[in-house]
Amino acid sequence: MHEFLAQLVNGISLGGIYALIAIGYTMVYGIAELINFAHGDVYTLGTFVALAIFGALGISGELHGIALVVDSGLALIGAAVCCGLIGMAMERLAYRRLRNAPRLAPLITAIGVSFILQNLMQLWKGSAPIPFPAVLPNPRFDLGPVSITAQQIAVVALAVAAMFALQIVVTRTRTGAAMRAVAQDRQAASLMGVDVDRTIAITFLIAGLLAGVGGFVSGVYYQSTWFLNGFSAGLKAFTAAVLGGIGNIAGAMLGGFLIGIIESFATWLIGGQWSNVTVFAILILVLVLKPSGLLGERVPEKV
Amino acid sequence: MLSRSLVLRLCAAAPLAFALAACSSNASTASSSAAQAPAGNAVKIGIDLPLSGADSSVGRSTLNGMLLAIEQANAKGLPGGVTLQPDQLDDAVQGVHSPQQGVANARTFISDDGVLVMLGPYNSNVAAAQIPVTNAAGLAQISASTVSDGLTLGDDAKNLRRANPTTNTFFRVSTTDSRQGAAAARFARQLGKKTVYIIDDNETYGLDLANVFEKDFTQLGGTVIGHDHIDKGTQDFKALLTKIAATKPDLIFYGGTTSTGAGLIRQQMFDEGLGNTAFMGGDGIPDIATVAGPRADGTYYTVAAPNADKLLSARQFVRDYEARFHEPIGPYSANAYAATQVAIAAIAAATKENGGKVPTRAQVLAQIAKTNALSTPIGPVGFDAGGDVLEPVVSLYTIKNGQPVFISQQSVSK
Repeated sequence: MHEFLAQLVNGISLGGIYALIAIGYTMVYGIAELINFAHGDVYTLGTFVALAIFGALGISGELHGIALVVDSGLALIGAAVCCGLIGMAMERLAYRRLRNAPRLAPLITAIGVSFILQNLMQLWKGSAPIPFPAVLPNPRFDLGPVSITAQQIAVVALAVAAMFALQIVVTRTRTGAAMRAVAQDRQAASLMGVDVDRTIAITFLIAGLLAGVGGFVSGVYYQSTWFLNGFSAGLKAFTAAVLGGIGNIAGAMLGGFLIGIIESFATWLIGGQWSNVTVFAILILVLVLKPSGLLGERVPEKV
Repeated sequence: MLSRSLVLRLCAAAPLAFALAACSSNASTASSSAAQAPAGNAVKIGIDLPLSGADSSVGRSTLNGMLLAIEQANAKGLPGGVTLQPDQLDDAVQGVHSPQQGVANARTFISDDGVLVMLGPYNSNVAAAQIPVTNAAGLAQISASTVSDGLTLGDDAKNLRRANPTTNTFFRVSTTDSRQGAAAARFARQLGKKTVYIIDDNETYGLDLANVFEKDFTQLGGTVIGHDHIDKGTQDFKALLTKIAATKPDLIFYGGTTSTGAGLIRQQMFDEGLGNTAFMGGDGIPDIATVAGPRADGTYYTVAAPNADKLLSARQFVRDYEARFHEPIGPYSANAYAATQVAIAAIAAATKENGGKVPTRAQVLAQIAKTNALSTPIGPVGFDAGGDVLEPVVSLYTIKNGQPVFISQQSVSK
């Protein structure tokens, strides 16, 4: 029982990061009908930017009190904003002019953008793994049968907070309404006076913001990164988005947490080398039995 | 109609393309030999190592050992006025050593008539892909660091040499996994470790090392609690380490390299309450501090070479290396230097034999196979029929304040 809970905590923390990335995939797909394969690299860029901000602030060890809040807040916001802007720039420079091109063209472009980002990061920080400072003190809290570290709490709290904020934006604001309208019918939305270009740009901004948060969280949690980090994380997150029903935000969150938990349990019960096999086997099963993903039908809007 | 005419046109074009390719390849060999003639007796030494990405810190320091030996030999002069020219290629793709790229590099060397011998690769799985290619071409290959048993021993090695079964073209100055794993198991027992949990990265090198360690540790009276394999590219080892923490082992042994997981595992051990549990690996992890930072302290690792500070010839090498590159030697720099010395001695002997003219690949290969008691920074080097060194030594190190600290060394027989 104790180990079950410990593995559940591991899985939820890992899933929180997947969920943050998966939302970006799913939103962009829902609104622009594009699978943005460069999204995983935007996430890696978030870790790099956070690292650079900590470097500029001269921080290499644990932070406490006010410094913890201010400095890590700066790094978090810096990473998120930077990734959001990169996301918008990507859309403006690479994807917008291909919006009405055949589906394959933007897909290949996305893979190209992914390579560009990877190689820029490689030029920036080199191709070896880079240590990330252990900024967050990491005491363990014993909660009866299970113990949780402060970092795990931070990961899950940040992920859940970001998702709630997003849910509010999508359901309660005019921009959110515009996003939902564009997702349902781009042409009709534009006839109703919705600025489609602006809405899609904002979608990329939000997806980038969340990827930046994910990148910051991953740096703090794993204290290590490298320029290709986003490749496997991006693939898993994409899987999470498909598992939950691509285009559906709640589905992406659910898928992310599920994949994190499946991965942890597979490692625990079957063995480390089977974790990826298990994740993708379950994905195939779900798609065969329910091609629209777990939440793909229940929520009609695609945002 | 359109498609048929296109197909016809392609068919017509194909022989033409072949002819063109043949012409151009003829032209390039002609021009390369023409370029060689006036340059006198230039001999190229092909070097294949991971020079970018996660393995680059060890790859670069290995390359430096090779370059130093070549520079010194050129300065001293070789018989027949031969000058050596290093030709290095990177076998890392997207930051990780790649067997496919290794084969592509080996083919590049083979198609260049100026290359008489090849040094490298760094990684065993790259070597396993390259050996059939170099064996078929008869190009001698000397590795400074590969340790997988199957490259030189048993049916695996025979299978790699199937194109040319009577000729061995692969030599290495490093020792095998079975010798290193056995030595690591003895070291672990000497450190008083009774129980171990083994993890490996499922690659040729890591899996072999872990399996030998498991067998020998059990034979020496230790208990293996579990053995798990991981996927390359995994970032999250918390689930695995939570599972291991529940079994409370004295030691976690990792078969693999820093880039395939050792660094992150060591780092995440602290998050799972395993910070005080001993962590040991083979010669794939001396650079573990590049990932694990200060948490690398206390890691044990074995290197299939004697401690360079203990040998007189090694001290001179270390001084020369530091003077040339302004940095401390890497874990395989001395081995790389020794491997290059073997190649250079063979080229020199083959040139003499050939009456002062640039020898053939076969002549160089024959000389390498005859190497015996060549004085190097890692002790006298000679090869057995399979291409392994005759009297290997394995050393144990630990990391203190980010620096390697030598603990002890043992001589291992086959």
